[in-house]
Amino acid sequence: MDAFAAFFMVFTDLKLLALVAAGTFAGVYIGAIPGLSVTMAVSILISFTFSWDVHPAIALMIGIFMGGVYGGSRTAILLNIPGAPSAIATAMDGYPMAQRGEAGTAIGITTVMSFFGGFIGIIVLALAAPSVSQFALKFQPRDYMLLAILGILLVGSLSGESLVKGIFSGAFGILIGMVGMDPLTFTGRFTYDLPLMQSGISFIAVMIGMFGVSEALAQLHHLDSAAVKQKISRIVPSFGTIKKYLPLSLQTSSIGVIIGALPGTGGDIAALMAYDHAKRVTRKPSRPFGKGAIEGLVAPETANNAAVGGAFIPMMTLGIPGDAVTAIMIGALFIHGLNPGPMLMVEQPDMFWFIVGALVVANFFMLIFGLTGIRLFTKIVEMPRAVLIPMIMLLSVVGAYAVNNSITDVYWMLAFGVLGYFMRSYGYPLGPVILGVILSRLLDDNWRRAIISEREDLGRFFHGILTSPLSLALFLAVIFIFFSQTPLWTRLKAKLLRNKNQEAQ
Amino acid sequence: MSPTDHDTDAMQDDVTDLHEHPRDTRRPGEAGFTILLLLASLFLLYSAYDISGFEALSAPGTLPMVTTLIMCLTGGLIALRTWKLPQIAGQTFSREILPPVLIVMALLLLGYALALKPLGFLPTSFLFLTLSIKLLWRQGWGRTLAISLLTLAIIYLVFRVIFSVLMPAGIFPEAEMLQFFRNMLGGGA
Repeated sequence: MDAFAAFFMVFTDLKLLALVAAGTFAGVYIGAIPGLSVTMAVSILISFTFSWDVHPAIALMIGIFMGGVYGGSRTAILLNIPGAPSAIATAMDGYPMAQRGEAGTAIGITTVMSFFGGFIGIIVLALAAPSVSQFALKFQPRDYMLLAILGILLVGSLSGESLVKGIFSGAFGILIGMVGMDPLTFTGRFTYDLPLMQSGISFIAVMIGMFGVSEALAQLHHLDSAAVKQKISRIVPSFGTIKKYLPLSLQTSSIGVIIGALPGTGGDIAALMAYDHAKRVTRKPSRPFGKGAIEGLVAPETANNAAVGGAFIPMMTLGIPGDAVTAIMIGALFIHGLNPGPMLMVEQPDMFWFIVGALVVANFFMLIFGLTGIRLFTKIVEMPRAVLIPMIMLLSVVGAYAVNNSITDVYWMLAFGVLGYFMRSYGYPLGPVILGVILSRLLDDNWRRAIISEREDLGRFFHGILTSPLSLALFLAVIFIFFSQTPLWTRLKAKLLRNKNQEAQ
Repeated sequence: MSPTDHDTDAMQDDVTDLHEHPRDTRRPGEAGFTILLLLASLFLLYSAYDISGFEALSAPGTLPMVTTLIMCLTGGLIALRTWKLPQIAGQTFSREILPPVLIVMALLLLGYALALKPLGFLPTSFLFLTLSIKLLWRQGWGRTLAISLLTLAIIYLVFRVIFSVLMPAGIFPEAEMLQFFRNMLGGGA
């Protein structure tokens, strides 16, 4: 099968088309309902789809991913409750618009702009990934190692309260991934001679626990938040409106793709950065930012959907997830016997083009579902949390059980759920844990490969890093993230800013 | 921060700085939690050393030792920082972090996991849904039972029938029931 046929596979296969549609539809609602997250849905779905073929399973997950990133904006606009972290910035101008009775306009613009951003992301993915993977074939094991560290550090430094907590979470994740028999020497690691530990901890159990049960437990604090009813009028925005915001949306989409493509950072960070960018470049916003500026809607929504395509770039080309959802997707591909990385792009380019095709289809369905079905939507979103929470819990247990038909996995899942709840309550980010679990194997393998090829000599290892431009760049990036968290950097930045201001005056 | 408790004005100021700001107070139980994590990290560091010691840089135990050492260092730093902060006023552990409803739900979940295999998916799930919805929703038994039956029916339909996920059958003649419906729908084919 050539790339062309693989790309159109989703368009022509009715079953796959229906699955993407169903996924996108479900994604819009999952994203919209506060308390249900895309990460949660995809991690639970892995366990339910693992007996399927790889194509339908991926098609469904891509639909959910695309729809979910968009869906969060709905509740952000209507209720001032971002349904997903990537919609936090959307609430800032979306809700004020709804308060003025312009909820319909806001939803319309959001939908069209998400569609637009989504497309830019996919186009960049399709154009960039093949060449990135060609380039990635030249990567040394140490480069992979550095990239994995960079990914975990990035997600750790940009989410949560402090980098220190992010690093702790990431290291913890790596550790979880190491439990079991070492694949090279068959030595037990953290097994404590228990047969139960020898096969390792199922990463699906960890994911479902961290994103399903712990979220459900945290939601118990918000049982009584009431839903606000909204009247929605005209939705489809005029062509003139779209044209007006095209330049801005192009800029913010680019921000989205780049942030999405950085390992570890996803739609939530892209949206906030884009919002900030819009605030800086817009001279005359339609209204002041925070009071219902359309620019404040356009920026985060284009960016977070563009980040979807972006996030697939490192995932498909390097096997390094662009964010938590792609981390879980990598897990799904593992389960189906595929190993994402540059070799996958060379050996099975069909899979890549299939994913691009599925993303395009999902993007169209997002547009369709986004502009219709508002009435049904308001009904579903008003579902009381008292019913929702037990449902999430039930699905988490069943999901953890279904992967291996093992009750042990359920206990692991529950344990990680409770731990995740405490970590969440005390400001430890959970994203780095998942990234750590997924990247643990890659990190370990590549470290050992790298150090063995340098004959166990640390000096030669660092010499290698310092003399290869790529390794050096990655190494410096890692160092910079550390440095940017120290008080020294804060002081330096303050000084630089002051100098700039003085020059301006 | 959970997505529900914020106001847009405050976020407006924060957006230039993407971090949730390090808090200047600690939440109830936080100091204890940091100590627990630190102790666990130290124990894990010891276990990591136990794998292969300082045998070689490429030994199976090297990266685990580095990882757990990082956990110890960061865990220690977090503990130190947290202990220095004053406890937040007016919050108690049993109200903000672990309220009774949370404990009860966690226990219900554990019970669900324990009973899943012996009792089977349908009866256990029905019990779990009914009890937890009754507890959280505080509505009459009629509505509670109706909602939990409906929820269970949807979940069962989607996951057992469409996704064909195998669940523990337990005491309920689930396979026979499915066959009965299939026969009915398929016109005996």
